[in-house]
Amino acid sequence: MSEYFIEIVNGVKTFLTGMKMTLQHYNNKEELVATLQYPHEKWPIPERNIGFENSEYNLIRSRLHVDIDDCIGCLQCEKVCPVDCIKIDTIKPPKGTNVDFGMTSLDTQKKMLVTRFTIDMAECMYCNLCAYPCPEECIYMVGGPNEHKHEIDYEFSQYKRDGLIYEFADPTEAQLAEVGGESYVESRKSQKQKLEDGSNLDGLVEEEQKAVVVDDSKISVIKEVDSGITLKVFNDVGDKPARGVAKKAFQSAKRAKMDYFAMADYVNGVINDAGKSSPEMTTAIELIRNYKDATAPTDTSVSVATESSPVTPVVEATPPTNFDVKSLNDIEDKMSRGIAKKAFTVAKRENLDTNGKIDAIKLALSEADKMTDEIETLLSTFRVSDKAPSAVATVVAPSVEVGLFDIKLLNDIDDRMARGSAKKVYMAGKRGEKSSSDVLSDIREELNKTDMMNDEIENLLKGIG
Amino acid sequence: MTSIVKSIINSFQVFPIDPFLLAVLAILIPGIIIFLIMAVNALIAVYFERKVSAFMQDRLGPMEVGIFGFKGGKKFWGGIGQTFADAIKLLAKEDIVPKDADKFLMVLAPFIIFTGAFLTFVGLPMSDSLVISNFNIGIFYIIAMSSVGVIGIILAGWSSNNKWSLYGAMRAAAQMISYEIPIALSLILVVLVSGHLDIHGIVQWQADNRWFILHSPFAFLGFVIYFISVVAETNRTPFDIPEAESELVAGWMTEYSGFRWALFFLSEYANMLIVAFVASIVFLGGWLSPFQLIDLPFIDILPESWLVLDGTIFGIFWLFMKAVILIFCMMWFRWTFPRLRVDQLMYVCWKIFIPFALANVILVSIWELIF
Repeated sequence: MSEYFIEIVNGVKTFLTGMKMTLQHYNNKEELVATLQYPHEKWPIPERNIGFENSEYNLIRSRLHVDIDDCIGCLQCEKVCPVDCIKIDTIKPPKGTNVDFGMTSLDTQKKMLVTRFTIDMAECMYCNLCAYPCPEECIYMVGGPNEHKHEIDYEFSQYKRDGLIYEFADPTEAQLAEVGGESYVESRKSQKQKLEDGSNLDGLVEEEQKAVVVDDSKISVIKEVDSGITLKVFNDVGDKPARGVAKKAFQSAKRAKMDYFAMADYVNGVINDAGKSSPEMTTAIELIRNYKDATAPTDTSVSVATESSPVTPVVEATPPTNFDVKSLNDIEDKMSRGIAKKAFTVAKRENLDTNGKIDAIKLALSEADKMTDEIETLLSTFRVSDKAPSAVATVVAPSVEVGLFDIKLLNDIDDRMARGSAKKVYMAGKRGEKSSSDVLSDIREELNKTDMMNDEIENLLKGIG
Repeated sequence: MTSIVKSIINSFQVFPIDPFLLAVLAILIPGIIIFLIMAVNALIAVYFERKVSAFMQDRLGPMEVGIFGFKGGKKFWGGIGQTFADAIKLLAKEDIVPKDADKFLMVLAPFIIFTGAFLTFVGLPMSDSLVISNFNIGIFYIIAMSSVGVIGIILAGWSSNNKWSLYGAMRAAAQMISYEIPIALSLILVVLVSGHLDIHGIVQWQADNRWFILHSPFAFLGFVIYFISVVAETNRTPFDIPEAESELVAGWMTEYSGFRWALFFLSEYANMLIVAFVASIVFLGGWLSPFQLIDLPFIDILPESWLVLDGTIFGIFWLFMKAVILIFCMMWFRWTFPRLRVDQLMYVCWKIFIPFALANVILVSIWELIF
């Protein structure tokens, strides 16, 4: 019995001891807290010394750094790098010019401009081999024995991999101009543009357009026209789809090499057809109409165009077939844009003409329930303009359309599985150019076979027939 | 003595209003009030608990999440937005029901547990004249309602179809039913002395005489037994063997996720608040000001309520202060003691608390007879 009470007393005692202990920690939280708020606070970095007299051995494999002012562009480090993570571009000034690039800190005369010095630290394997051949000792691992040159940096994590690509050279435009690096600047710019286009998925280049790109003279002509008035005039228009239609019309007018007057007429016509006219749009069109280009070549073209202005309606009726993937960029909904683009590329691989492509896109969209009036008008702008050259296609396509009922009617089938198989049968029927009643009976047969037929579907199919 | 329900009915009777609509209003408004109290309590208490545990373990706790750019100070208010972020995450989570689970019971269980905690608030006064509904058997009702949760826990454990869950539920049932007894026996003391089951009567007795914890040494012992037992009743460490992370994953909550788990969480912290409220009402004088204990010499010069800070508003303040101190003590327990073994848990209840509580009842009666 006494043991029982002793146990209770001991229990209470230890209970209180424990409570006292935690309360002490709670009360002295200011001094006792052991947490280091890492990104905000850091421990000092210990000196690294493994006992060798040669300070080289105390090297810290941290991050590569280049003192670009000392770089003479000898490419030794680029050559020695086992993983090719260093990229260097240099420009030598043309012979005869006398450009002073200054001296390095080791008193070597620099003879060329280093326009690019890129190190991809994501690829770097920290072997330090690049540091040894450098005659100017300008590439090195930061920290450690090089602490006096650059403080240590062991935290260079990034959210994206390109964040680890370090650019060390940043030549000014004046410097580049001095050594005659205009072509280099151009190539860099186009490279950058391609990168951007690639990341925005805008860079899909059409075969025909590639052919155009090769023809330099044409480019220059287009460029000159570009220098006059650009798509930007439509940016004041608030309505997005209207803006898209207008820009498209403007582009095709430009490609047809119309003058500004005819161009305005053409754009106006397209806008009115689409029913998208608005006060802003009218001012923008007026701007184009009244625009006078100062440069000589366009002057002549204006005079020619004014002469041929009565002919322009003909041009208007048959603008060149410019239906490419980029035309689909005006579709606002992301999903449907994707579907449309996919359908377009598939159609293109099958070598269909423009109308065929449009049909394919329409079919894909209506199958995914993504067809809207806007897309319909957008697509129809291309179709109408294309009627004359591809008469055969237009004759064939409507015959299928008329012969068969619309696939959207099948969307009323509630059961998902049944809808899917019905649509499949429909597509097969369409490909085989069957009539509506044939297709309907096919659907019935298929649904009966798979036991998915019910009264609702039967009624629906009857309604279609 | 008015209650919120009564005052709602009285104030709306002025308008020509449908009696059915009146009943709906009288249920809905207090319901929303209770839910808000529970939700805010959970938000604050979780943050409080994380900070207390951190400081007791020489850490800092949440320090990075602020509210709308406000990040508080260096230590205590450092991560003030953490629980809000956690709550949003919890509500946005996928709600998973295992394939072989008993789906109906599994969905039902959290609501039963939540309802138990929710209904207890109906009889809990916040202040002198601030109670949802005034019972004349308030303390009995609270004891009865707080044991409803056991059913939910057993349902949750059984329906999850998981051995950890079932083990946890069985342990929880055994533990909670056992600890009901010392809790009831300790609360009997105050009923015995004051002669009231009604909470207002109990507090009135304390106002007329003294806080019940100061009634006699046995009443103090009763308070200790009550307080330790409710820690076990709410399944908190060191009595958290139904959850026991190291043995049972998460006990009866193992298979729950998302909103339903949030309900468990809400109920757990609501239960903490409830038991703290009951302890402060029954033993610590409820909404009475602690300054009433001191005999102030210049009491005649100034009006009394100025000095002792009494009244409805201060009543709420004092009750919450007492509850917060008790909740802090529960957190203090949690971060001090390791978990008890199942047999130790039962030993403490049946062999120590129940005999002592029974003896207490007799001794308090004798004390009341003599003095």
